[in-house]
Amino acid sequence: MDTNSMSYKSKQFLMFAGVATAVFTAVVIVPFIYGLYLTFTSWDGVSKQKPFVGFANYMSTFADGAYWQALGRTMIYSLIAVILVNVVAFMLAFLVTSGVKGQNFFRAGFFIPNLIGGIVLGYIWKFVFNRAFVALGNALSIGALSTSWLATTNGAMLCLIIVSVWQYAGYMMLIYVAGFMSVSADVLEAARIDGCTNMQSIIHISVPLMVSSFVQCLFLTITRCFMVYDVNLSLTNGEPFNSSVLAAMHVYNQAFTYKNYGTGQAEALILFIVCAVVGVLQVYIGKKAEVSA
Amino acid sequence: MRKKILAMALAASMAVSLTACGGDGGSTGAGGGSGNVAITIFNSKSEIQDQFEEMAEEYSKAKGVDVEVYYSNDTVSAHLATRYSANDPYTIAMVDAKDVYSLAGEHAVDLSDQDWVKNTQYAISVDGKVVGFPVCVEARGVMYNADAIEGITGETFNPEDYKTLDAFQGLLDKLVAGGMEAPTGIMKEDWSLGAHYLCEVYEEQPDVDAFITALHGGTADLANNTKWNSMMDTFDTLKQYNYAAGSPVAAEREISEQKLAEGEIAFMFGGNWDWSMINAYDYSENMGMMPVPQNMDDGTNEKLVGGGSKYFFIDNSSNTSDEQRQAAKDFLNWLVFEDDGNAFLTEKCALVPAYSNINADALDPLSISVKKYADEGKLIANYDFFPDDHYSICGAAFQKYLAGQSDRAGFAAEIEKYWSSTTPVEH
Repeated sequence: MDTNSMSYKSKQFLMFAGVATAVFTAVVIVPFIYGLYLTFTSWDGVSKQKPFVGFANYMSTFADGAYWQALGRTMIYSLIAVILVNVVAFMLAFLVTSGVKGQNFFRAGFFIPNLIGGIVLGYIWKFVFNRAFVALGNALSIGALSTSWLATTNGAMLCLIIVSVWQYAGYMMLIYVAGFMSVSADVLEAARIDGCTNMQSIIHISVPLMVSSFVQCLFLTITRCFMVYDVNLSLTNGEPFNSSVLAAMHVYNQAFTYKNYGTGQAEALILFIVCAVVGVLQVYIGKKAEVSA
Repeated sequence: MRKKILAMALAASMAVSLTACGGDGGSTGAGGGSGNVAITIFNSKSEIQDQFEEMAEEYSKAKGVDVEVYYSNDTVSAHLATRYSANDPYTIAMVDAKDVYSLAGEHAVDLSDQDWVKNTQYAISVDGKVVGFPVCVEARGVMYNADAIEGITGETFNPEDYKTLDAFQGLLDKLVAGGMEAPTGIMKEDWSLGAHYLCEVYEEQPDVDAFITALHGGTADLANNTKWNSMMDTFDTLKQYNYAAGSPVAAEREISEQKLAEGEIAFMFGGNWDWSMINAYDYSENMGMMPVPQNMDDGTNEKLVGGGSKYFFIDNSSNTSDEQRQAAKDFLNWLVFEDDGNAFLTEKCALVPAYSNINADALDPLSISVKKYADEGKLIANYDFFPDDHYSICGAAFQKYLAGQSDRAGFAAEIEKYWSSTTPVEH
């Protein structure tokens, strides 16, 4: 059989990727292009008419102060959350690969928060922040805990970050665990013979050999933090006084609650571009730093 | 070859399972296929979905019309938009008043010739045609727990004695002296503050439209407006005696409603829809609603604010046949003019009827108050033409005021700024 012919290749492609490509086109590509078209209309989300308005939605996006505030807030949130998630995940991964007793149990345990959906997780933590911590604070007279953190501007953002770290650290830990396991024992042994301390062998041997894990984890956490909506909705719902509205939530409100579908769509597009640029840049820089043993 | 077939079969089964996930949730009701006319109803009041399904079954049996009832958690207009873009609209859709104005022009049937029109004062007309069938009456005011009050004062609580803020404050002081540390609660939700309490400032103006126009034009001096100051004085009092005064934005609605139901607090601003939460707790029967106390003699402190709430409209598109439209009209008439229909509205769903010919004596305590004020003509009408982002943006400003992060002048300035930057809703 001629494995180089066009018909063979396309048959192979259709068999292995045909369904996936069709679904991907139907649920990602087509809506994306249609969404792009909607950014040039002043559709309210309900009406039959979709009047064409040119770049008016982009103008109102640039004039929408609340959007840029939300975007700025999202960047600060993402920056802190991404760093904390990865630091915690790395330390957990180190812990559960260092041969402590019951490390498989710990691996499963740390991963479990990731199996709980964001909405449920938000409600659980809302209860913890609003009731459990407050009750604890009152019982032990700890001033910082006696009022709910969710009621203050910075507190609400802090709560969002804490919950994100709790949610994602276990997942990223798994990737770092795979990274640690992939560093071959003979390299580490050679380092030890050359007189490396434990700390030195992590920093100079393990970490450089694990760069691909870092690239993956950073990419996943950055995109997830930029797009976060579920935890934002169930944990703070933008409160207090819309000071914890992150970008995705603002986009949703703009499109569906305020019924400016076109503007919401334009804002979503800008969010997508920001997210894509940051993600791709990070992967590009990360790939360059990869080394092999 | 065998492997190839296996691979194909696997791929096909995966594709099938993918499409199977796209099912439509929430459909129930009597099955079709009986040759009857079939109509669909969209219900947007989650608390009466069970009653609706039960009614659909009975109605189908009695009238030979298949009725299917749907419910969705989505924003009403967004949900209907998806149905319309799929060319599969509901025969009858239950929406909020503002949705009638935005949808009716394109999608609703003219109901001006229907008999029920003359039995209600709450129907909505667009371009001179009646299109919205009011499902029930709802109103806002201060909810009270009379048992809790009487337990301390030892006298029968008569809300009419506390029309003025001075009298109200006197009672609050008495309650505090009698051992109720904090007699009020405040819902911090933006819809409660921004869409319910703040809106009374506009709705109780002598000429609402003129006032809103002035706000748009930046000529309404909110900070020196009598009604604004009167409502905010009352709010300050509610805030002062709030059980969650230390951290008012952390107050959870469930807790506040429970405290009110069980008499731990005595007053909270709200509406008769709050009963669906209060009845989840060990509530006191002796509750009710009263107007917001104010030191004004314009009569507004003798009235609740409210009116028709939730409207049915019938689809006019080619996706609905004339038989279906007739069946839908018959259904609306059944609700108003037949005993079973009346019983469904007032007894099963415990709604305050919007029709003068319907009696209701099996209502919950809050609704009994609302019906009393409605029957006496003491309802200040809802204003239905707020921009969609009003409750969110102004509610956030109100929340800031509640949390003590802005003063009254700053709050007024934020409201004025909002109005001058937003486009008026045409009506």
